[in-house]
Amino acid sequence: MEERTPVLEMRDIVKIYPDGTKALKGVTIKVYEGEILGLLGENGAGKTTLMKILFGMLKPTKGRIFLRGKEVRFKSPADAIANGIGMVHQHFTLVEVFNALENIILGMEGHGLFSKIDVENARKKLQKLMDELNFQVPLDVPVEKLPVGTQQRIEILKMLYRNVDILILDEPTAVLTPIEVKELFAVLRKLKAQGKTIIFISHKLNEVMEITDRVTVIRKGQVVGTVKTSEATPQLLARMMVGRDVVLRIEKPPKEPGEVVFRVENLWVKGDRGEEAVRGLTFEVRAGEIFGIAGVEGNGQSELIEAITGLRKVEKGKIYLKGVDITGKKPRDLYDMGVAHIPEDRTHMGLILEMTVMENAILGMHWRKEFSKDLGLINWAKVEEHSNRLIKEFEIVAPGTKAPVKSLSGGNQQKLIVAREVSKKPEFIIAAQPTRGVDVASTEYIRNYLVKLRNENKAVLLVSADLDEVLQLSDRMAIMYEGQFMGIVKPDEVTEEQIGLMMGGVKA
Amino acid sequence: MTALEELKGYIRPLGESVLAILIGALIGAIVLWLSGYNAVAAYKALIQGSFGSLGNFAETLSKSTPLILTAITFAIGARTGLFNIGAEGAVYFGAIAAVAITQSIQNPLAGILAGLFIGALWMLPAAVLKVYRGVHEVISTIMFNWIAFYLASWLALQVFENPMNPNSTLPIPPGARLPLLVKNSTLSLAFVIAVITAVVVYVIMWHTKLGYELRTSGLNSRAAEYGGINPRKAMLWSFIIGGMTAGLAGALQVMGIPPSYSISQGLANVYGYGFDGIGVSLVGRNHPLGIIFAGILFGALNAGATLMQQTGVPLEMVKVIEGIIIVAVAVPGLLDLFLKPLRRGKA
Repeated sequence: MEERTPVLEMRDIVKIYPDGTKALKGVTIKVYEGEILGLLGENGAGKTTLMKILFGMLKPTKGRIFLRGKEVRFKSPADAIANGIGMVHQHFTLVEVFNALENIILGMEGHGLFSKIDVENARKKLQKLMDELNFQVPLDVPVEKLPVGTQQRIEILKMLYRNVDILILDEPTAVLTPIEVKELFAVLRKLKAQGKTIIFISHKLNEVMEITDRVTVIRKGQVVGTVKTSEATPQLLARMMVGRDVVLRIEKPPKEPGEVVFRVENLWVKGDRGEEAVRGLTFEVRAGEIFGIAGVEGNGQSELIEAITGLRKVEKGKIYLKGVDITGKKPRDLYDMGVAHIPEDRTHMGLILEMTVMENAILGMHWRKEFSKDLGLINWAKVEEHSNRLIKEFEIVAPGTKAPVKSLSGGNQQKLIVAREVSKKPEFIIAAQPTRGVDVASTEYIRNYLVKLRNENKAVLLVSADLDEVLQLSDRMAIMYEGQFMGIVKPDEVTEEQIGLMMGGVKA
Repeated sequence: MTALEELKGYIRPLGESVLAILIGALIGAIVLWLSGYNAVAAYKALIQGSFGSLGNFAETLSKSTPLILTAITFAIGARTGLFNIGAEGAVYFGAIAAVAITQSIQNPLAGILAGLFIGALWMLPAAVLKVYRGVHEVISTIMFNWIAFYLASWLALQVFENPMNPNSTLPIPPGARLPLLVKNSTLSLAFVIAVITAVVVYVIMWHTKLGYELRTSGLNSRAAEYGGINPRKAMLWSFIIGGMTAGLAGALQVMGIPPSYSISQGLANVYGYGFDGIGVSLVGRNHPLGIIFAGILFGALNAGATLMQQTGVPLEMVKVIEGIIIVAVAVPGLLDLFLKPLRRGKA
């Protein structure tokens, strides 16, 4: 393997941020022509930093980059692209009101202020590209109207249009539905067949196993090792990634569920565009049980959660908590009645990123007596105690209680939310996508905690697009499709094929 | 939160503001020099006129008083996610209310309460339009400012006019005037009230549940809603408290400024503070405590301008310098231009 010259080599890359954080401590990676290299690591391991250095967005503190044997240093992304390296970011960089064609040619329109843009030529070239890859995106629809998966393809096309032959994909599947992931992988395979080189950044073991040829594992700013994917197992990669054996299995003792804690009767909810997002759902969650809802995202799960947590209007039907009608109650009342909600959108709903850990640790409970003094004053000393308790109990890695929450890694942010919600001492916990975008260790912690809550006789409603998660944790599970349940089953009494059918809209 | 840690959080914004002020002064000097004036002499006069003597310093503090209060109006709005520029109108009515009520109740407290109340009341239409109909507060408050100007002008000239002096309203009766702090100056208890107000607003915003709800709504209204907070209610409160401080500015401006203790023709002595307050708030980083210092800075510029004029530099030059300072604070890129070499030096 060492005989061949790598098409790209990053040698001894060190990155120290001005505040002293050592993001990379001498990382060397080699990429060979026409392969898919997986860059695997937990959140905050340094994968993205490394790629941003390659792409000219960050300057390395030390280290050298060789492209086809020649030393290079890119001053900007434009510089990197000109040298044939393209990157698709986790968060897209598209102009939402522009269509795909406009987005793709943006920045390549020609140099004069009034020079004519050769749209037709661009369209022809793009069409040819798409035909070669055997995938199509609508060129004339504003991208904001397109699904996320399509937007991502536009990002990829944007890079290919610029004739890159090394493509970096940063956590490309984080925002995709399972079907979109399959489609993306098909595209990647085709690109590989055309001789393109791909660097695939991920923390998802299964995906890395499926799509890559080799995997370089990074942990805490250092390379742990590089293995051939064909010789690796998920267990091996997980061990390399977190530095210890990860118990991907969750210990879940059998348990008889108790009385009904939460009940929904013939619930109808409208979506943002006025469509019937939830269509007549009826189900119950019992004490000491995890009730899971699986299904492809966008089938009404979000609207269902918002309706039962008081954030969206209920059109029709009833919601009961311990026999009390809570339909139409405000979030504040629900929290006081023993509901906790781990929201699916961590950064836009669960946390206020600019605020401190302390301030976030009391969101949704800031009115409680324990944090109050006279005259409506907040007892910050008590809040600090509370925050420190959460940090300690949940092993949250944070610079301090007064650090802004945005300085925490995604996994620790999520742990903070779980910690806060559990500290509300709820009887009924709604966990929506509780481990999305969270590193392996935090995922394991959060999943085990949900089981612990169940063992403590709490009622847990789990909504997740991660089928494995639902299968692993639930005592009973439903598969949601277009606002309805295709069936309510027990995870150990159902085959993958049956679930697949239900996710595709076939009733059990 | 320990006091020390809290203090640490302020150092960076403070440093940035100081730097912006220095940049403003520097560019101002260049502009003066290019316009053919003696910049050194002008700045000397400016400092002399604002800090040179007890009397001059008193003038500085007196001039800062209404600015501190109107800046707070803007700051509370900004912290709640609003761009509330309606302070101007509330100032007029605060002044009118103080004049009106003290004619029958000769007590400064009556004037202050009237100013607070009317200021809040005047903000309500814009608040209701924003919260329940989604009318953007910039549009509504600008429009209401004009309504306020003509309505207040009419009230001042027709309803509360001084029969002895047609150029002003009835004066505040002696029993309702605020005591002076420095003899032969215009510095009265009003300044102390403004500073106390700033501190109270700080406590509200950072140490009460209401303030927590306001700031949460301002930063992330979806998270606020999720957290059991009603962002609409928060906005309403933001308008009300902001209206109160602006109304108070107007009341203090007539109750605490000798010799006239009245509103002069064309609302001249209550005009413009609402808009100047926006700049003061930006320089003070939309923080009530920062605003106290920013207010004093702007007060100093206004107080010193008179003496600077004697060196031949027109009064308006001070506004140019003020403008440059505001731009320097408001444009982060501009600051980075100066800060980057410093940071690189450290790394």
